[in-house]
Amino acid sequence: MIRKPVDIGDPHRLYTVTGGRSRGEEAGLDLVTLIVSECRPTEGMQSEHVRILELCGHPTAVVEIAADLRLPITVVKILLGDLLASGRITARNPRPSAAHGDAPESALLKEVLIGLRNL
Amino acid sequence: MSDPAAPGQHRVPGGRLPLALLAIGLTALVAGGAAGAAAAPDSTRPWVLGVIAVAGAVAVAAFLAVFLRVQRMTTASLSAATETAALRHRAEQRQAYTAHLADSVLPAVAERLRAGARPEDALAGMPVPEDPPLQRLLHSFAYEVSSATGQRLSAQAERDEAARRAQALADGVDDLLANVLPGAFERLRGGASAGTALAKVPRPDDERLAVLTEFVIREYATSERRSAAARTAGTKALSRVQAAAVSMLADLREMQERHGEEVFGDLLRLDHSTSQVGLLTDRLALLMGGRASRAWNKPIVMESILRGAVGRIAAYQRVRMHCASSTAIAGFAAEGVMHLLAELIDNAANFSPPIDEVNVYVEERTAGLVVTIEDSGLRMSDAAMRRAEKAVSGDSTDLAHLQGTRLGLAVVGLLAHKYGISVSYRPSSRGGTGVVVLLPPHLLAQQRAEAPPAAVVPAARAPRQTQAPAAGPALPAAPAGTATPIGTATAAGTAGPTAASVPPDTAGTPAPAAGETTHGLPVRPRGRTLARADRARERAADASAGLPQRKRPARDAGASFGAFHRSRRPENPSE
Repeated sequence: MIRKPVDIGDPHRLYTVTGGRSRGEEAGLDLVTLIVSECRPTEGMQSEHVRILELCGHPTAVVEIAADLRLPITVVKILLGDLLASGRITARNPRPSAAHGDAPESALLKEVLIGLRNL
Repeated sequence: MSDPAAPGQHRVPGGRLPLALLAIGLTALVAGGAAGAAAAPDSTRPWVLGVIAVAGAVAVAAFLAVFLRVQRMTTASLSAATETAALRHRAEQRQAYTAHLADSVLPAVAERLRAGARPEDALAGMPVPEDPPLQRLLHSFAYEVSSATGQRLSAQAERDEAARRAQALADGVDDLLANVLPGAFERLRGGASAGTALAKVPRPDDERLAVLTEFVIREYATSERRSAAARTAGTKALSRVQAAAVSMLADLREMQERHGEEVFGDLLRLDHSTSQVGLLTDRLALLMGGRASRAWNKPIVMESILRGAVGRIAAYQRVRMHCASSTAIAGFAAEGVMHLLAELIDNAANFSPPIDEVNVYVEERTAGLVVTIEDSGLRMSDAAMRRAEKAVSGDSTDLAHLQGTRLGLAVVGLLAHKYGISVSYRPSSRGGTGVVVLLPPHLLAQQRAEAPPAAVVPAARAPRQTQAPAAGPALPAAPAGTATPIGTATAAGTAGPTAASVPPDTAGTPAPAAGETTHGLPVRPRGRTLARADRARERAADASAGLPQRKRPARDAGASFGAFHRSRRPENPSE
């Protein structure tokens, strides 16, 4: 096997980002949960936390955060769980708008989603 | 007669004494006879006269006999005295000559002989003694001295020759020890063959020294070759293991992206084990003079460095990192620094209780970046600390100084020596041991002019963010399209919230291109080779931003190559 002359990615592994955890304690997060940061990043925070807090000045979906951080969704959920536990962010599901009644049913949305995927 | 000399002196007056005695005797006899004859009666007178006559005759006869004898003795005594005088004269003469011989002749002869004359020549001008014994004495003296002188000279010559040879030998040995062998060993260590080293070495004059030199040099060359061959074989074999570990890590990272929560934990465990294997193989490879398994072509921020280091040790969960520094380590030194810190942290974790934390602090100082690793284990003994200090000092980078299985600190020493890092041990205020690592400024990445906006953004991304805008204007669509490492996501990824901190032309382009989503999740195709990355880039360029790109004004080859080179970096997969 030919060895690459240089490495291009990041030297750290994902388990050092999560501190060895592979599963978030916060079960309520899914891909479209909206996250809003409640405070500014402080000195000494993990860089991913800082990024999330900056990113979530406006409500941002978990999946967007994951894409932005270039991290697997599992890892992002763990990180968000940390921030949630310390109260630095709040998470809310986009349910309320559905409760209004004029939004389409989630079943319909799912169908649309499936249709979109099939495109 | 037996002693002629002594009585001779007294006989001479003795010759006259008998005559006087004879006259007195005769007178007394005559007088006595006359008196007797006168006194004697007439009748007896004839008788008396007769007796007196006879007595006188006897006396005369006796006297004559005595006189003659005395006369003879006197003569003998005289001749003896003469002879004695002659003898004494001769004895004196001989004595004088002997003295002359001893005082002047013999020294003179000896002098000539010492000057190198032959015995005959030395004796030529000398007075020859009359006595045959003295003559023989002189001759034998001359010959003896001559032969002794000859022997002495030859012995001296031999001694001088021996001393000269001994000196030459000593000089040769000195030269051998001081110049020849060190020079030859230096060349051999530099990789020269025994023949080359021997050809450049002046051949010692002494045959045995020459043989010795050749023998030593050949033996040293053999052992040097043996160790070099062992090292080469070791590094070659290890490099395969290293490559396998790196590719396994890349695969694992890919799987972590692809699979969900259910296997994520297992993948992380495998990832961790593989990282530990990587540390072990890198340790051996570095010790054997090989290379680390990875190399970085960009600055790596300190947080990533610490995580990279900590991720390679078994007890990474016990390590608490306190890193508020935005500094990045230059790419060339990043892997070395990471390995060095990993070894030190591993050491600290291994020698502290399994429930205690190991704290790692990063501070920025004018002298450089100071990383302090503190454990709360048992305080090291002074001797152990000295040993550790010595091992990490990098003074002895020779494998010969390795102690058993304590390889980690030796590698730390090697790396510290290579990069000019100072590593020192001290007792920790927390009860255990502290290691202070000073990373000198030349290992730190240059802060670029564009860096200030990064001050707002967390430190971690500062260096990379400066690259992304640079890539942006030149080839905006390409980098964003496929995999970009975490840091660059800021620049390329999101349009909304981060737009303020990102140049607009970069911010606007790419996110849609990245969103080639199949299942609602962002999928980042990861090329593992340059060729694949290149193809991916082409695809991305064609697919998403191809058309507008084509419309851009033509660029010269240098600019396009530079753009390609820059864009390649964020595009290639991270692992």
